[in-house]
Amino acid sequence: MSAGLSALLILVAFSLIVALIVFFALRASLRELLRNTVRFPAGVTFYLRSFLVVIFLSALSAAIGESFDLKSDARFMEYVWKVAEGLSSVLERSLWFVAIYAVIVTILIATLKIKNDE
Amino acid sequence: MTNDHYLILSYFVCATLSVVLGTLAYLFFRHPFAALATATSQNRLRSALKRLFPLGLVFPAVLGFVSVSYISCNRTSYEEIVQSRAYLFSKNQEQFSSILLSIVTAVLVWDVVIIFVLKYVQNRARRPAE
Repeated sequence: MSAGLSALLILVAFSLIVALIVFFALRASLRELLRNTVRFPAGVTFYLRSFLVVIFLSALSAAIGESFDLKSDARFMEYVWKVAEGLSSVLERSLWFVAIYAVIVTILIATLKIKNDE
Repeated sequence: MTNDHYLILSYFVCATLSVVLGTLAYLFFRHPFAALATATSQNRLRSALKRLFPLGLVFPAVLGFVSVSYISCNRTSYEEIVQSRAYLFSKNQEQFSSILLSIVTAVLVWDVVIIFVLKYVQNRARRPAE
């Protein structure tokens, strides 16, 4: 296996770990929030699954899109820097998509919760 | 395997992958979405939503795949494109990344659609029986 491919796989593994951490950190509170807002259990399931897909696929898409076009005589640290650069893209993209998801959930709460509280 | 063969094979593998990933995304959301569509209790809306949903996930995935072009500033002819295996591999990475990104975007759009569906169901539930 070439060094570039190994570096890509390491980056993919890191991106999955990042996604797992974010997902498990937010899952319980998000579920509780959705249960208090959405009357249908199917709605809660739908939004939880969409969060899972959003966080995992956005991280994975950033990791896979990273190109490891280094020279054949590239040194170890050059690969490390490239993985770090890729990780930066993974975190940035995940952050953006989680932010968009948060906006959608806020709109959902603002739309449904006001009526429920009446 | 020559670069020419690699290009043909990888292109069709990625095309298939886009359809498979779009379908998997649909299957993942199918049951909760069907339950929400049923809650609208209006046949036309329910039927339209159920028919649109698979298309609304598979088409974006295919769109993500076809949106990646092999022609770039440095490589404008077919010969230049198949010259480097690394270039072809990077394009496959780009295609795969684009497919995933399109699915994420489609899911977020469906999230917004579901807000409208839930609001509609809520309004119907609050409306006094006519």
